[in-house]
Amino acid sequence: MDLRLTPSEVAFRDRLRSWLADVLPALPDKPDRDDWPARRVYDTAWQRMLFDAGYAGVDWPADHGGLGASPTEQLIFLEETARARAPYVGANFVGLLHAGPTIIVEGTEEQRAAHLPRILRGEEVWCQGFSEPDAGSDLAALRTTAVRDGDHYVVNGRKVWTSHAEVADYCELLVRTDPNAPKHKGITWLILPMDTPGVQVRPLRTVVGSSEFSELILDDVRVPVSNRVGAENDGWRVAMVTFSFERGTAFISDVIESRNLLEETVAIAKKTPAPGGGTLWDDAALRRDVGRLAAEVSGLWSLIRKNVSEAQAGMIPVQGASVFKLRFTESRQRIGDLASHVLGRAALAMSDLPGASNARVVEDRVNTLSFTVAAGTSQIQKNILAERVLGLPKEPRWT
Amino acid sequence: MDLTLNADQKDLRAALRDWLADAWTPDRLRAASDGAPFDRSAWKALAEMGVFAVTLPEEDGGMGLGTADTVILFEELGRALVPGPVTGTFLAAGLVPGAAEGDAVVTLLDTRDALQVIEHPQDADHLVVIDDGGLFLLPVPQADPASLPLDPLTPVARVSVRAEDGERIGTAEDAARWRLLGAVLTASLQVGAAQGALDLAVRYAKERMQFDRTIGSFQAVKHLLAESLVKTDLARAATLVAALVADDPASGDLREAASTAKLLADDAAAGSGRTGIQVHGGMGFTWEVLAHLYLKRAWVQETVFGTAGDHAEHLAAAF
Repeated sequence: MDLRLTPSEVAFRDRLRSWLADVLPALPDKPDRDDWPARRVYDTAWQRMLFDAGYAGVDWPADHGGLGASPTEQLIFLEETARARAPYVGANFVGLLHAGPTIIVEGTEEQRAAHLPRILRGEEVWCQGFSEPDAGSDLAALRTTAVRDGDHYVVNGRKVWTSHAEVADYCELLVRTDPNAPKHKGITWLILPMDTPGVQVRPLRTVVGSSEFSELILDDVRVPVSNRVGAENDGWRVAMVTFSFERGTAFISDVIESRNLLEETVAIAKKTPAPGGGTLWDDAALRRDVGRLAAEVSGLWSLIRKNVSEAQAGMIPVQGASVFKLRFTESRQRIGDLASHVLGRAALAMSDLPGASNARVVEDRVNTLSFTVAAGTSQIQKNILAERVLGLPKEPRWT
Repeated sequence: MDLTLNADQKDLRAALRDWLADAWTPDRLRAASDGAPFDRSAWKALAEMGVFAVTLPEEDGGMGLGTADTVILFEELGRALVPGPVTGTFLAAGLVPGAAEGDAVVTLLDTRDALQVIEHPQDADHLVVIDDGGLFLLPVPQADPASLPLDPLTPVARVSVRAEDGERIGTAEDAARWRLLGAVLTASLQVGAAQGALDLAVRYAKERMQFDRTIGSFQAVKHLLAESLVKTDLARAATLVAALVADDPASGDLREAASTAKLLADDAAAGSGRTGIQVHGGMGFTWEVLAHLYLKRAWVQETVFGTAGDHAEHLAAAF
């Protein structure tokens, strides 16, 4: 038991650090948040740089073009890129973290050859067509239908919360192929090219005011049967492969970001005059709130290291992942609240007010409202822990 | 980097856990909380398991292990609600003769506390005072114990002592080190108390029927218990990391790690203890059900080696 990195892990970290120090200063400015085509260009250009430097697909197996890095090296990669404030995975998220890993495990040789190298090189952007208006937490209740017609499926339905849909080339799509089977048994996983006739993308405006997500309307969309990943009606199991990825590593860089946000908050507090003299930082109650959140962030980092150690030892950290997501998302929202309280009335704008650096904090406060919902709501996570870890009986179900 | 338990650590933990399950059964805890005298033979047996000498060198009769091994064992002590000043005796082992062997029971006092209250005033053989200027060994002052201690397993008495009246057995640096190690060890006792309260509540939630269902099938109950699990796991990870930093100072900042661990563990123990009572419903408010002992122990332990507020201030000072 120890916290030290091995010599080869230190070498991996130092090489990455020096590469980041070389390339980051030369990066162009980040594009405007609503300029999706520009964001795609920016995010995929970064992915190409990672690829050329040998860092694409850190968590992908080496025989599928990835780095085949150990869990500890993955942690180092995510930690170092976040600390250096390198670009986030962005538009490459679904391809690198969902669709690609699914195709690695469940895809055919043709599907792997067609997509994996392009995802790694930043040439292919994916979106996710899972949730529907009536299938959120109860994802298996999805109703988008796919009916076999010769060597095609004809797909009809609606998908929501599809990030990057406007600029995506492909969609990982869950459809119902057997309406008479129990709900988990009639689902199929398809690769949908986004330029197929009948695919319509409608941006959804979020509470941040941006169009981060879209709605997909699928009207008689013909998808070749050869685009099916896994067997017909086995799509639920296939989809679960991606969920284990999502809950494993998704938030590592966000914990670094949380610490950065706390530091910014303290910096603002230290230079904001208090009504009775001194600065806001002289307020013991504020310092204790910051200290408490700092403990949570630091504890979460310990939990990450424990989860990564378990993964390194070949264990699957189901418990750790749900525990982590629950606590992180809650702490993250409280950091946003605290930062906004320090801003006072500068927290009334999501764009910078003259003389204030409020935009990032305020937008972040609003944006993180999604954290306790996305990728399994906090309530679903608690059910998972109570049922799978504590062994409490399942809720009665009506299906 | 490895935060998983090795085979030796798992064996050590299992051996202590089994022993504690026999030594501190619910009936014995009930008897102790109804005024049975402090059990010196159980204390001696605990010492023979090595718990006070984990970090002492083998040539001195210790186990030659680290703080990380210690917190794994201390979590079990906390989970079993073992009565007695385990942290004081552990810290004093090697400095106070007989502590490591279980022949001397050592209780503590920190001069930073505004009010001087010691635990186990009649059971302890020695008092070590932790002062900014060093560590001081004193006889346990004669004082009337409180007739109704908050935790029936932790008798207390108000005392009035001066560090300089004692024998100086450690430097200011030693005292500072004790404060940090004490915070880490108390954190592990708190993690144990949190886990013990959770285990008891989960067991009850699986048995207790209302509305023709076990209450553990209701989401309202599940979510309370899941929250306890989350707090406990977070605190356990932080405590383990703090212990590893104590063993290898180059791998982190012990001040930050210890404060993080104590703050999160206090939170977990008090939260899980409260949930334990809530899930037991009316029975949780009775003396008979042990749920109250976990919460009361948590409330005792949150006052030693820095409160959550003190540790939050330490963490804020690092910004």
